Amino acid sequence: MAPNQHVLLSPAELAYLHEALSLTPPIRPDGRAPTQFRPLVAETEILPGTNGSARICFADGTEAIVGVKAEVERTRGYHGDDEEEGGEEKREQEREGQDEWVELTVEIPGYREDDASTAFLAAMLSEALLADGGFAKKLWINRRFHWKLFLDIILISPPLSYPLPLLSLTTHLALLSTRLPRLKSEGDEDPFFDDDWAAAPYLYPQGTATTRPPITLLVMAVGRNIIFDPTKEELAVADVVLAVSVGEAATDASSTKGKGKAPGRSLRLLSVRTVDPPSRVTPPGVPNATNSAYGIAASAQKQPEARTVEAQAVEGVWRAPRGGAKPAVMAALVQKVLERGGVADEVLDALDAVELG
Amino acid sequence: MATSAPQTALAIPGQLLGSASKYQPGPGTHIHESNLYSSLLGAVHVVQPAKAPGPVKRLTKITPAASPAELPTISVSRSGVSEKREILPEVGNTVLCRVVRIMPRQAVVAILICGDTVLDAEWQGLIRVQDVRATEKDRVKIYESFRPGDIVRAEVISLGDQASYYLSTARNELGVIMATSEAGNTMYPVSWKEYRDPETGLGEPRKVAKPY
Amino acid sequence: MADRRRVNGPVGATIPPVFEDEDVQVQATQRTTRSRAPNGIRKMYLKTGVTPSASGSAYLEIETSGKDGVSGLKLSCTVHGPRSLPRLSPFSPHIILSTHVKFAPFATKQRRGYLRDPSERDLGTHLEAALRGAIIADRWPKSGVDIIISIIEGDQGRETSGAQGDDTWDMMNALSGCITVASAALADAGIDCVDTVAGGVAALVRGSGENDTARIVIDPIPSEHERIEAACCIAYLPARDEITNLWFKGDMPDHDMGIYSELVQQGIQASKLANRVLVESLGETVK
Repeated sequence: MAPNQHVLLSPAELAYLHEALSLTPPIRPDGRAPTQFRPLVAETEILPGTNGSARICFADGTEAIVGVKAEVERTRGYHGDDEEEGGEEKREQEREGQDEWVELTVEIPGYREDDASTAFLAAMLSEALLADGGFAKKLWINRRFHWKLFLDIILISPPLSYPLPLLSLTTHLALLSTRLPRLKSEGDEDPFFDDDWAAAPYLYPQGTATTRPPITLLVMAVGRNIIFDPTKEELAVADVVLAVSVGEAATDASSTKGKGKAPGRSLRLLSVRTVDPPSRVTPPGVPNATNSAYGIAASAQKQPEARTVEAQAVEGVWRAPRGGAKPAVMAALVQKVLERGGVADEVLDALDAVELG
Repeated sequence: MATSAPQTALAIPGQLLGSASKYQPGPGTHIHESNLYSSLLGAVHVVQPAKAPGPVKRLTKITPAASPAELPTISVSRSGVSEKREILPEVGNTVLCRVVRIMPRQAVVAILICGDTVLDAEWQGLIRVQDVRATEKDRVKIYESFRPGDIVRAEVISLGDQASYYLSTARNELGVIMATSEAGNTMYPVSWKEYRDPETGLGEPRKVAKPY
Repeated sequence: MADRRRVNGPVGATIPPVFEDEDVQVQATQRTTRSRAPNGIRKMYLKTGVTPSASGSAYLEIETSGKDGVSGLKLSCTVHGPRSLPRLSPFSPHIILSTHVKFAPFATKQRRGYLRDPSERDLGTHLEAALRGAIIADRWPKSGVDIIISIIEGDQGRETSGAQGDDTWDMMNALSGCITVASAALADAGIDCVDTVAGGVAALVRGSGENDTARIVIDPIPSEHERIEAACCIAYLPARDEITNLWFKGDMPDHDMGIYSELVQQGIQASKLANRVLVESLGETVK
């Protein structure tokens, strides 16, 4: 499991870290604020052979490359042209996409391609992308043909932390820089494209901030604190970890009733998934009261089934958390992500600043 | 308040059994927010503490105050629900095992029975040369203590490494309890370190368990 | 990745039947509407101890929506273990959970192969997250448990056209069933759990009419609704009031956060109802 990769922290270190992160305000090992992201380097259109590409390098050295390739494909289930030619508006209505037009694969070195965690990452990213149904529509060419989009996400080195935010941000940039050749043919005839790359329109039209690819943020809670962009060590003591995908809402819909709102983008919640926190498989500490090295003679000849004696939690002794999270905590996490002018906003601003091409 | 957990009540996982200040947690229970909950599907048993500790013995060792033993122990057992109940060997358990393979530094065994329970799954154990007996540890030779096929009574001393539990036979009543000679006959013990073949009369060295 | 050990049918040659009869089109226009109350779940049948060779097992069946050609959900779960870990795996102070969810090849409209596809792996990961929160893992050091779920019949109506599309909603229903059945099988196997976890689904649906407003229903059947705007699947521990797994998908503007929390609440409600069935069924096994 990618999130459960082994963290070499002793139970005492885990207990210390957990305590530091539950303080108000939390003290993170690298001194970041709870909502602060790690610095990253990003560039786009690095691969000339693709329709769009991006590369992001985290400060810890984890690096991801995304290449987007598009192919024309015949649409299945189109049974000849027995319909009469409809008007242009009818054609617009017909524009509907299918989810299988997008194929997203994730490759992480050190993990098998059919590993469950890789499938989970890929499912999470494509779920966010397709959530509003608008993305697949962009791939419609005519009633007989569509674009098939291949998104290949490659992690250059084995991940040093849970790679979800990195993959999501890189995918976001790659899609922003994706261009599809301009269509020259009309109607339902075989598609014919302009071979001038400079004329190719962007998949996500530039300048209009209404539609952008979604981003997925990793957010975790320790006690009452909400922490963004957790490192591997921080994840090892998390009570709950959520992956929240947000997109930007079309501005016209919300600006009509926008008085008194905090400045910032209005966001849409696209998907939420619980990520199994690796803290559940951390080694527990042994309190002094039951430590045989400390003076309690291990009761000889224990009855079988008299398993490790249940004990009340002792302060300062790490115990892997049991159970789940309170619904209120889950709600607070999602709320925090969607906050206007909050972290998602900052991240989108930062991604805006990455120049295309 | 004793009615809160009648003797034969059935518990399902997550069922409240009582306050942690009234009972001691036994097998099949867990503590959450100072209450005891069941963690298994099974019958609830409440066991009163055996008896008041007798005349206080002089302690030979300074130990922290023992946990309050007056509380009855509450436990949830699978008996009556299902006979199938996997259990795991644990540190302190006495197990019966069969010697699979011997090496100069250790004997590899398969743990068959833990306590009174026959295990379904096969767990591997390891008796290291220093754990064979309590005295003269440096003179112990594995091939003079065990042979493949012997049935050994041993005690679990550690969960061990990823592959095997670590076992010890360093007590009088632990060691080989059944052995077969090279001729293939079942042997009988004649001393603390020898088994003898009843037909050929030849003796073979073993770490012999003291018969009860 | 081709499976060379079996003789598989030609790849991609099967096309799900498309019925274009008149009666089907009539059905399509007057699709079955939901007759249950918005806060009621379908009847379900749950029995534990159905597979003698496994350490624990359970079978779950959820009733059909009372219409011909619409199958319900049928799940069978077996739990094997705790047993020793493979030789090469590292030491673990906890039980290692591995979950396999597999649709039978005939479970859905579109035939599934024998190899697990990414969506099935994804379901397995969700299930693992849901169960890991419920299990007391440190009771079983150095051991592993396999939880294997076969979806014998998926919950798919025959008349819903493929274009309606998104089978995420079906997956959520399947996941909630998987969680409930796996929880029963774990209790049957005698593996320590903090609580009985059960799954529940709630969805924001919109009717076919122009002026229909979106409403929240629990345990939705996708074919009964014109459009599902958003849905969430929740694994919930009722005694502790905790969520172990939450999966939400949809499109929800940030000013509609009230609807989101309502959806989660209703998902919890659905899970509580499923849990009642689970508790009753566990109580029956003992007699």
